[in-house]
Amino acid sequence: MSGSKPQAIPVTPKSNYSGPVIVDPVTRIEGHLRIDATVENGKIVDVRSSSQLFRGLEIILKGRDPRDAQHFTQRSCGVCTYVHALASTRAVDNAVKVKIPKNAIIMRNLVMASQYLHDHLVHFYHLHALDWVNVANALKADPAKTAALSNSLSPNRKETAAQFKAVQDKVGALIASGKLGIFTNAYFLGEKKNEAYYLPAEADLMATKHYLDALHMQVKAARAMAIFGAKNPHTQFTVVGGVTNYDALKPERIAEYKALTDEVTAFIKDFYIPDLLAVAGFYKDWAAIGGTTNFISFGEFPTDEYNLESRFFAPGVIFKKDIAKPQAFDQNQIKEHVKHSWYVGDAALHPYSGVTDPKYTNLQDKDRYSWMKAPRYMGEACETGPLATVLVAYAKGHKPTVDAVNFVLGKLGVGPAALFSTLGRTAARGIECLVTANQIPVWLDALVSNVKGGDTELYTPWKMPSEAEGVGFAQAPRGALSHWIKIKKGKIENFQLVVPSTWSLGPRCAAGKLGPVEEALMGTPIFDPKRPVEILRTVHSFDPCIACGVHVLDAKTGETASFKVL
Amino acid sequence: MTDSPKRILVLGVGNILFTDEGIGVRAVTELERLYDVSENVTLMDGGTLGTRLMDPILNCDMLIVIDAVLGDGPAGSIYRLTGEDLRKSLAFKDSMHQTDLVDTLIMCELVGTRPDAVIIGMEPEDYHTMALELSPVSQERQEALMGFVLEEIAKAGGSFTKKAVPGPLTQEREQCA
Repeated sequence: MSGSKPQAIPVTPKSNYSGPVIVDPVTRIEGHLRIDATVENGKIVDVRSSSQLFRGLEIILKGRDPRDAQHFTQRSCGVCTYVHALASTRAVDNAVKVKIPKNAIIMRNLVMASQYLHDHLVHFYHLHALDWVNVANALKADPAKTAALSNSLSPNRKETAAQFKAVQDKVGALIASGKLGIFTNAYFLGEKKNEAYYLPAEADLMATKHYLDALHMQVKAARAMAIFGAKNPHTQFTVVGGVTNYDALKPERIAEYKALTDEVTAFIKDFYIPDLLAVAGFYKDWAAIGGTTNFISFGEFPTDEYNLESRFFAPGVIFKKDIAKPQAFDQNQIKEHVKHSWYVGDAALHPYSGVTDPKYTNLQDKDRYSWMKAPRYMGEACETGPLATVLVAYAKGHKPTVDAVNFVLGKLGVGPAALFSTLGRTAARGIECLVTANQIPVWLDALVSNVKGGDTELYTPWKMPSEAEGVGFAQAPRGALSHWIKIKKGKIENFQLVVPSTWSLGPRCAAGKLGPVEEALMGTPIFDPKRPVEILRTVHSFDPCIACGVHVLDAKTGETASFKVL
Repeated sequence: MTDSPKRILVLGVGNILFTDEGIGVRAVTELERLYDVSENVTLMDGGTLGTRLMDPILNCDMLIVIDAVLGDGPAGSIYRLTGEDLRKSLAFKDSMHQTDLVDTLIMCELVGTRPDAVIIGMEPEDYHTMALELSPVSQERQEALMGFVLEEIAKAGGSFTKKAVPGPLTQEREQCA
């Protein structure tokens, strides 16, 4: 990198490498993902996103009481905790047609909002940052210059050289010990410097300290969820008909929640967003790498559980990056393809008619290569997640989102086209987090005001119908989530989950269209095929959550144990 | 200079559903039942929480882990492990989602401070059979195991007295004590 030209936008270095590049397992995600890329003359020309997990939750749920669905589905994942419980609850609410009291809606929203805060903080610092931040290079930094850099990014920062020196010493000792713990096999390590990383050492040290600070801060966001949600992971306060957390209406509980979310919000404003902008500023070339074309959002934070348009972030679909023409979301247009997945047949079915009939081939199969189905909306692959949420909200003129997007674009000196990229996706996550955090006090005030006015309703009684069908939509931190239930004789006849990571990280469909992450990776430059951090930058930007599979290794023999499901 | 006593955490870990894999939990609950300990000592059932025990571990100065350990000795052998041998704590490696006790301690050091640590471990006779009871060998050796743990507590600056009236056995404990 030419250090004597201070304002030049660096260009991600390229190699002449041609051949396969496989990242398996992708780490710093939830679940088991394999990226199988073919590189030609330093750029990716073909790629397969392969989910290595089989869930089978749909099979487990068949025949059970619909009220139990949320307890099983929530165990899909403890990282995306709560969101499945909410989607399942909404699906059964929708099927039995019970009206949800407004305080219950606010409670559900507040827990979802704190989940956004938790997930996005953890994602930026602990799952994504080390794709951009070279922790080893932090050892070369001048602690005093680092403090000056850091404090220049926010008026509320008062960091000292001594603090940065302490972090430097700690990290230095860790790396020197050879027992690398969380940095094992990091792509910034190695004898030769990885030229794909190009932050100055002071920025590396600053971000490394904040990585550690954020570990303590995310505990607070998780605690906030537990105040209203009973516990974290796996809240236990949603029920069909409302919520059960009467204790949470007490002033002391509300004060606890407020204190924690206020503190986390301050960290988001003073640390997360400025750090994001600082790092992005050095990697502006990534505004032209890793983009997709179509986006889907179910919207979130309703005032009316039966009206998606009542959501604070509106639902919608964007085709061909055209933010001038956001489309209304039509739930009948979703189909899940299995042609290139490890399931029987070639059908593309709507989730109400969904079938989960697994059929594994092998790891080398280029034709069928994922446990994920391929969801398509009007036949198109659609990215979901914070970028989709933000683009739809922006396109629909949602003021808080428009203001935040314009602020970020202004700070980076780029136009809206930059949003359609890995950098844009990463910035959108911060924007979604900030806008949500700023809204929490508004929702909390509404709740307090309702309670003061004498309204403490949290639940509406209802009766289980013999036959019904319903769907629950949520915009989880990773994007569009839907649970579809068919009830027969009061029991679950069919249940399908279409999770956000399936939209974003699923395989090709029957028309051969690439899934969003596959499209995003095409053309990505690879500098060192042995340390392909460029792949991680884009894959991580989707915040994958693949949901747990059933893979068991015998501790002594390392052999895969096989299970017979009785 | 304040000379406050070391905060000692006695963490019995393991999976009680698999016979001797629960030896650490059984030992710590039996210690709780039979002994009063000084204020600077905490007896805790850590179960299979693994890295999620970081919070209590971060808040102690001396960590004494009781666990099943696969060493080279016959069933019932008791080991005292430190340093790299801490990786042999079976309970901290119980799934593909876990790392091991040493990595857990390294993580504690990164975010805060890392306590001194020792494992008082026992070679299991059987850790595959699904059963709540300890094997006869482990039952016989449990008192010796607890004795070594009490020694370790004393070494670290804690104290204990045997309760005049031991706590009640739960239905589970009746099968194991």
